[in-house]
Amino acid sequence: MTARTAEPDDIEGTAGNAGPGGIVELTIPVESDLLVLARLATSTVASRSSFDIEEIEDLRLAVDELCLLVVDGRRTGRILLRIEGTEGQIEVDCRYEGTAVVPDGEGSDDHVDGLSGRILDALVDEHGPVARDGLRGARLCKRRATSDD
Amino acid sequence: MDQEFGVEEDYRDGTSVVTVAGEVDVATAPALRDRLDQAVRREEGPVVVDLLGVTFIDSTGLGVLIGAHRGCAAHGRELRLVIAEPRILKVFEITGLTDLFPIDTTLEGAMAGSEVVE
Repeated sequence: MTARTAEPDDIEGTAGNAGPGGIVELTIPVESDLLVLARLATSTVASRSSFDIEEIEDLRLAVDELCLLVVDGRRTGRILLRIEGTEGQIEVDCRYEGTAVVPDGEGSDDHVDGLSGRILDALVDEHGPVARDGLRGARLCKRRATSDD
Repeated sequence: MDQEFGVEEDYRDGTSVVTVAGEVDVATAPALRDRLDQAVRREEGPVVVDLLGVTFIDSTGLGVLIGAHRGCAAHGRELRLVIAEPRILKVFEITGLTDLFPIDTTLEGAMAGSEVVE
């Protein structure tokens, strides 16, 4: 992702209320460096799904890492993000749409292999790659901690 | 967007001090990398990265710090971190990076070479 200021038309978003947390769908240009929008949307849905502050911070980081994994150092294209919250659970689906190839070697200049995976392992209940409609992506699921955990 | 990203560099008492504030992610990490590269190549002695004002850091930011650690080692310098915020420290703990970086909770402690987070 390289620095570029996104034009208003570059960013698309919808929001719905399927449950307590609701659904937010975002389309973010990779080159705009606007993962802050993904984190903001995650905070909102997680808050409405009854997650506590610490869990919301964990989710913000987890969704950021999910996007980084899916983009994998590509410089162009779009991130399609779907965040669905229900009472005590949040599911996030992230896809890459574009034709850019993953750069040789380490991807972005600041990429270190394995860090995103370690962070996701620690912060969410489930995560892994998905492929649907010809788009490569990944998903995660986090459930709210209960007194039994 | 809790706080605007910023990075400043200072050299005092034989130590390079790089102070970082705001969110360190894929958008801001290159600026941090550039400033750390300058700090590592310039001057001598330890490099202390003050993360007290950092509100968010992801793997891209961690990658920058790992690169700076390597750069310091190549120049015979030590990179130390200052972290007090539990949620920032947690990112270093879950990635195992508390074993790589000497971490103190105060700037004064890090400049003196102490290490309170293991």
